[in-house]
Amino acid sequence: MAAAEARIDGRRAAPGRLLLIAAALLFLGLFLVLPLLAVFVQALAKGVSAYVAAISDPMAWVAVKLTLTVAAIAVPFNLVFGVAAAWAIAKFEFRGKNTLITLIDLPFAVSPVIAGLIFILLFGSHGWFGGYLKAHHIRVVFAVPGIVLATIFVTFPFIARELIPVMQAQGKDDEESALSLGATGWQTFWRVTLPNIRWGLMYGVLLCNARAMGEFGAVSVVSGHVRGLTNTMPLHVEILYNEYNYTAAFAVASLLALLALLTLVGKSFLEWRQPELKHAARQAHDRTRREKT
Amino acid sequence: MATPVAAVEVKEPTPRRLPQRVLPGFGLTLGYTMVYLSLIVLIPLSAVFFRSLGSGWGHFWDVVTAPRVVASLRLSFGASLTAALINVIFGFMVAWVLVRYSFPFKRLVDAMVDLPFALPTAVAGIALTALYAPNGWLGIWLKSFGISVAFTPLGIVVALTFIGLPFVVRTLQPVLEDLDREVEQAAATLGASALQAFARVILPALWPALLTGFALAFARAVGEYGSVIFIAGNMPMKSEIAPLLIVTKLEQYDYAGATAIAVVMLVLSFALMFGINALQNWALSRHGGR
Amino acid sequence: MSIALRGIAKQFGEFAAVKDIDLDVPTGALIALLGPSGCGKTTLLRIIAGLETPDEGQVLFDGRDATLWPIRDRNVGFVFQHYALFRHMSVFENVAFGLKVKPRRERPSSAEMRRKVQSLLELVQLGWAGDRYPAQLSGGQRQRVALARALAVDPDVLLLDEPFGALDSQVRHELRRWLRRLHDELHFTSIFVTHDQQEAIEVADTIVVLNQGRIEQSGVPGEVYDLPTSAFVHRFLGQVNELPVHLRDGRAFLGPIDISPAADVRTGEADNIALIRPHEIEIGPEGVGWPATVVAVRVIGPIVRLEVCAQGLPTNEPLEAEISRERYEGERFSVGQTVGLRFRRWQVYPASGVAA
Repeated sequence: MAAAEARIDGRRAAPGRLLLIAAALLFLGLFLVLPLLAVFVQALAKGVSAYVAAISDPMAWVAVKLTLTVAAIAVPFNLVFGVAAAWAIAKFEFRGKNTLITLIDLPFAVSPVIAGLIFILLFGSHGWFGGYLKAHHIRVVFAVPGIVLATIFVTFPFIARELIPVMQAQGKDDEESALSLGATGWQTFWRVTLPNIRWGLMYGVLLCNARAMGEFGAVSVVSGHVRGLTNTMPLHVEILYNEYNYTAAFAVASLLALLALLTLVGKSFLEWRQPELKHAARQAHDRTRREKT
Repeated sequence: MATPVAAVEVKEPTPRRLPQRVLPGFGLTLGYTMVYLSLIVLIPLSAVFFRSLGSGWGHFWDVVTAPRVVASLRLSFGASLTAALINVIFGFMVAWVLVRYSFPFKRLVDAMVDLPFALPTAVAGIALTALYAPNGWLGIWLKSFGISVAFTPLGIVVALTFIGLPFVVRTLQPVLEDLDREVEQAAATLGASALQAFARVILPALWPALLTGFALAFARAVGEYGSVIFIAGNMPMKSEIAPLLIVTKLEQYDYAGATAIAVVMLVLSFALMFGINALQNWALSRHGGR
Repeated sequence: MSIALRGIAKQFGEFAAVKDIDLDVPTGALIALLGPSGCGKTTLLRIIAGLETPDEGQVLFDGRDATLWPIRDRNVGFVFQHYALFRHMSVFENVAFGLKVKPRRERPSSAEMRRKVQSLLELVQLGWAGDRYPAQLSGGQRQRVALARALAVDPDVLLLDEPFGALDSQVRHELRRWLRRLHDELHFTSIFVTHDQQEAIEVADTIVVLNQGRIEQSGVPGEVYDLPTSAFVHRFLGQVNELPVHLRDGRAFLGPIDISPAADVRTGEADNIALIRPHEIEIGPEGVGWPATVVAVRVIGPIVRLEVCAQGLPTNEPLEAEISRERYEGERFSVGQTVGLRFRRWQVYPASGVAA
């Protein structure tokens, strides 16, 4: 028995085990660490003063402001949606639940370029609403509203698919209890449900925000690339790069990379706080499937 | 019966009625969900299909079978397949190492796996290009072997591998964690060697998750744009990916062309998504797991 | 407040959880809904609370039709099996919740609230725990907080869903006594659900036994235990020995033994089963009664369980008999010893289990 355990436990310092760890780390180092390092090295290649100059460039600032604005609109919209969808799915029984969850996941299956394309088809000058918008002098595509819409589409599922399994796991007992004590629906939601889901909520917002700020393809299609007006940070990076202004491009990119690192830190913290979040998204489907069997 | 009987009015039995929902807010939340879903996702997506097929099936077919389009689709799917396969092999390794072994800074490494999720694609794009360009850190080293990565299809595979890396790892990890060690120990007590236990006990439990991870990585790679266009050569027929071709056609106001390619990609992505779903349904009913 | 159920039925998809239930609960009664899992007892409780709506039938509170009243308007206190305490609120805030969410004009002042919450916590012997959080309390303590919380809004009726199911046996025992005493002190109408017949017998004034969505029998604990009307109830409450019995020429035969003098026969069919409780089998010295061999002796606290194999009975399993410890100390039955069995009273039911 001891020999059998030793064979499969892997607790002995077998050379095979060390080799495997080394190979895995090498792979990760090559594909993850090096690119990240490259961003910062290239950004500082011409020295700190060049870096600071690139970052404080007014065009860069406009891009930063636009990125923040778009995220500040897209995330709350998807937040409200995510909470509503999770409430409907987790607290009630109805037919087509699994279909609904699949539909919510649809934007994940859509290429960012297509995500931009669809809004051009709707609101572009040759689009379904093109004539109406033109007549009323409303610009959606090649303007900020278009960018916001495309970003909302691309980040659509994030908060919902984090919240659904969290709320499903918590069940209805707390809410039923609050109702039996005389609370209204809204009181129950604010005082009981919301505090219960706060970690899942933060997690979803974190991921949604990271994607909203970093989205490139969809926004690229829909924005028209007007510098100083419709350029978000990722687009600005592209422009600088295409002008061979590598240091400035990497400088702005480094800000985005820092955002990514902050996101990872926040993610790890929240996963430590509530370990169920780590594999939450997969569970949304599994749980609903199990309910049916 | 000794049950005490209270005085009570005798009422007529009431007719059957529909079940009410006890918790409030069903109508409000489901209604809002459906409306928001339709406005943001369903209606805009339908625009692609209407627009593309509106100009006729014949025209659609012509566009989709044009050599440049076919080449771009072949490249996108081919490179995505390759990248997904690489991710399956190495992702399995990474997941195994993270779940089964301990080493210093393991938590840090585990957190880093999510970097491709968190990093904006454009940043990844220029970083990878800087690395693999002929004068980049890795580009120089590879050139001495006669391999060029940047501006070739190989570069596309590298970028797509980066993008898909977390999918396989994160899909495998929970399954590996849930693996009942006792089942392996039972196999060992019955005389199985480590390799046999791996092949006959562990692998069969894992392959639905492997397949799911593969499909997810593949699906993500097919539509990827930002991290690829910097490192690809973007030369028509050679290193031009399908999403780029859509953008090019859009810039030329060739809506029919752009939407046609989009339809092909969407249909394939949705098919993949439903396939993944069906796979998970099956895995759940069969193994009770992922 | 009195509660009455008339013709209640409820289905979940294909499964009929509750079929045609009529029940009367007088004011101040403490009633147990007892039955195996799936018998519909929790569904019934939730229908009374308003957490489920019945497909058919009426729920009457003091004679008024409350069937469609939303939960908020029913003024019932509900205690969940897993407590459902609000984990991010302190014990004090949990108990005060029902008071805090009252509409403005009904809401007590914060001083009043504090007073009431504190007195409730004292009542459940947790006066010191106000600042603690549920995670810091034991299961038994959490359940008492849940009870205090439910009582805070002065409910007309208290409903408890397997309140002690998640607790250790010793804690369960204490809480059962405590609940009984609380009820005797405060006299609220109370209905609790349990699958533990011991619990039902110890705590309730009236036991309602449910099986597959219907009421099998209801009555005071002594009656349900001593005078069961069906084999199901007989089996469910307490231990039984079970043997096949034939009716021939108006007499009941257990194999070759004519047990008619000691049998309550409630059936006209030929094939039946006879049930007898372990303490209704008398063990005597050899020669007095039916011969049997002792095959096992187990001393369990105040009682001693003897397994005896009676010769010629239509069964391969030994019968279980119980005698008091004192008796055992006196006579010292041992394994292998031949004894004589006398059967005090058999209940004979049709093989289908339903009393005539």
